[in-house]
Amino acid sequence: MALSRGGDISEIYSEYRITSFIIMEEDIIKETGESVSSGLGIRVISGEKTGYSYTNDFSADRLRRAALAAAAIVQAGKSARLSRFKPAAGPENLYPLVRPAHQASLQDKIELVRRAYSSCQKADPKIKKVKVLLQDNVQHISVVNSEGWSGYDARPQVKLICTAVAEKSGRREYGFSGGGGRVGLEYFEKTLSPERIGHEAAAEALLLLEAVEAPAGEMPVVLAPGHAGVLVHEAVGHLLEADFNRKKTSIFWDKLGQRVGSSLLTIYDDPTIPSFRGSYCIDDEGTPPRKTLLIDRGVVCSFLQDRLSSRLMGLPLTGHGRRQDYTCIPIPRMSNTYVDRGQDDPQDIIKSVVKGIYAEKFEGGQVEDSGKFTFSISAGYLIEEGRLTAPIRQATLIGTNIDILQKIERVGADLSFSLQTGTCSKDGQEVPVTDGCPTIKISRMTVGGRS
Amino acid sequence: MRREAPRDSLVALAERIVNLGKRYGADEAEATVSDGCEFSVDVRHGEVENLVEAGSRFLSFRVIKDQRTAQAASSDLQDETLRRLVENAVRRAAFGNRDECAGLPPLSLEPVDIASLRLFDPQVAEIQTDQKIGLARETERIALEDRRITNSHGASLITDEVTTVLASSNGFVGSYDQTFCSLSLGLQAGETDEKVEDSWVSVDRFFQNLEPPETVARKAVERTVRQLHPRKIRTQEVAVIFEPGMTDWLVGFLFACVSGVAVYQKTTFLAERLGERIGNEKITVIDDGLTPGKLGSRPFDSEGVACRRTVVLDQGILRSFLCNTYAGRKLNLPTTGNAEGSGVAPNNFFLLAGSATPQEIIASTEKGLILTRTIGHGLNPVSGDFSRGAFGLWVEGGEVAFPVAEVTISGNLEQVLRNIEIVGNDLDFRAPVCGPTVKVAALTVAGE
Repeated sequence: MALSRGGDISEIYSEYRITSFIIMEEDIIKETGESVSSGLGIRVISGEKTGYSYTNDFSADRLRRAALAAAAIVQAGKSARLSRFKPAAGPENLYPLVRPAHQASLQDKIELVRRAYSSCQKADPKIKKVKVLLQDNVQHISVVNSEGWSGYDARPQVKLICTAVAEKSGRREYGFSGGGGRVGLEYFEKTLSPERIGHEAAAEALLLLEAVEAPAGEMPVVLAPGHAGVLVHEAVGHLLEADFNRKKTSIFWDKLGQRVGSSLLTIYDDPTIPSFRGSYCIDDEGTPPRKTLLIDRGVVCSFLQDRLSSRLMGLPLTGHGRRQDYTCIPIPRMSNTYVDRGQDDPQDIIKSVVKGIYAEKFEGGQVEDSGKFTFSISAGYLIEEGRLTAPIRQATLIGTNIDILQKIERVGADLSFSLQTGTCSKDGQEVPVTDGCPTIKISRMTVGGRS
Repeated sequence: MRREAPRDSLVALAERIVNLGKRYGADEAEATVSDGCEFSVDVRHGEVENLVEAGSRFLSFRVIKDQRTAQAASSDLQDETLRRLVENAVRRAAFGNRDECAGLPPLSLEPVDIASLRLFDPQVAEIQTDQKIGLARETERIALEDRRITNSHGASLITDEVTTVLASSNGFVGSYDQTFCSLSLGLQAGETDEKVEDSWVSVDRFFQNLEPPETVARKAVERTVRQLHPRKIRTQEVAVIFEPGMTDWLVGFLFACVSGVAVYQKTTFLAERLGERIGNEKITVIDDGLTPGKLGSRPFDSEGVACRRTVVLDQGILRSFLCNTYAGRKLNLPTTGNAEGSGVAPNNFFLLAGSATPQEIIASTEKGLILTRTIGHGLNPVSGDFSRGAFGLWVEGGEVAFPVAEVTISGNLEQVLRNIEIVGNDLDFRAPVCGPTVKVAALTVAGE
């Protein structure tokens, strides 16, 4: 029916997701919640045109109307033939769970929340406010399309986050930490304990109480390993998403095979890292994902593809078609994006800076297609004469990507990843992601502090 | 996709959930149902790129038992699922802790005349798809005639119709219909490695009030090309003029700092400042849910409390925090009709206009930066500090001299509210959270 007026491909995506959460603040379990998201999206593609409709009412009449609404995109034309469905062979199970959160008892989950809360609160009398959230969901998706692809994925997701407010002589500062991923509750025993999450949130707030204003102006910037992956996510990742390049709005559209950055820089996006927040066994178009080399020693190697862009550009699928939920059209997105490790000793990198900043924690960033990007640091240090000195407060850094990529001077051997709590927003759609990087030195960048 | 007069069935669904909650043992229950239909078309380089037409229905509810709250939501509206969710919620509530501030508000006795709010445009349902596509296509076509424009992000036309129903065990049952329409266009100018970009959007509840394609195209083109060939400037303290769209985020940041939830959680630097001066006498900020036809208007909030007009900053003095029932009880302050889900949200939250025209404000500036766009986050309500990536126009001798890119501005919200020298007369309510052009005496602009 979706192809009744013609069209190249039709696709049906259905989703059933159950989410639950627990919030603790002011020393009590304040709220708990459960939500169900259930619905179906129908897409018809004809050349560069996409028709889309969705419904959460599975009655035959509503499904028929949704199919016809999606088909309305096609003016006239030949229908593609329906192929026989064959299931997509994705990677082996990327989510090995011992104690799935969605099957755990409410008492067990509340216990984790209390542990994080009390560890944060007890860290110091200056901690005045603590809030802990535990959220978990399991998302079942299935996709079939008229080319014969079909696929199913059941994706678990957990996150435990803690925020703290510290206060000293009228000054207040905020700290954050968290963890999780596509893991079971055993993660909080084996990998990252609730106590550590609580303690780290407190430590950040306490550190900021002692922080001085960040400097303003151009200076060398050293990115701490892990969290600073947000820089490559903004500066590089988004602009290598295929839709921006197919439309030639990204400054990278004509740079495939060209050098755009320092030869020290190699970047991957890998949706197949087991247990990571951004991973999946099939993407939201039913495509098995691939670890994708984006930048190879400074040279642009590939774009992140969904089906539409891959067809129109004549480039291979990479399995990066993602959507927030059934109400959204899939678009090319990142998953777990990281800068590959380099050679340098992180301590040597810091020693090489006479006056600059060490950017340690981040609260996100933004990029536009022209390559201008920002990211905001929530905590860091001054570097003076090769040593970390005073902690600094919040500041925003801004640059143009190709300029900054060329100014990458040193890359450390100490690759690590950000907290497993990140979400990326594009075209109003939010999806879980992670990013990572080793210690990196940028020779000059504009820092937006106040002193 | 037309909806089939669902109002009665939506009310019945909400009431059924409330009754079910009580039957499973809840002391209080409240259910909200929203039923929407969405149309959007994106046109790029003259061709329709995406056409979305869909409808969906969503339920959310909370139950309170022994002063313990549990929430739930679902787009799966089958009987069996709903019964399970209600039963789970009542059972889950027992795991929480007793919270003496938990609970529903008393029944609101000041009903608002919904028709007078003009939230719904009946014409929206009658507009043909071809007409909507035609408007988007025309908008982009006009802009692309300008040779300085080198690429397009496309033009979009969106129309949404939403019905909201709320039923509560305190006896409240209410519902209202709303429409939202928008026509937008995003453009790029300049060659590959020196691209600049910007956009313009017209938003209104009434389709006929949307700016015509010529206006949307002209504004998008002007905003884009004025940034061509930008310079960097050196790091300095300088006067900064906020265009209305920029004042919007400043006012939005203020909202985050006067939200009653942030106040009782102590996550705002204004938590203990009620009654104190935090801005100069030019600064009056109001939350008003009852202005007819405006984007942020509504008859009642998500708890059924009648919306109203609240003066938040009165000539620089902090007069009110914006509270839902819970924050109000926590702080011993009145609820202000700002409840949204389990938090608070602005209705129409705006900085009251002054009398200067934007041209007069620019002419008064010997040296300064007109802030036209920011990117990134960098707002910290706990301290009031902000730091954002910025784009703008440099002013020299009262006139625009050249565009500026790749700088940051940083400061503190209270410092800004105290240092606003001039408030413009161009408040236009293009967004529910908004303000006119303002000139701030000095902010740190970081550049070279």
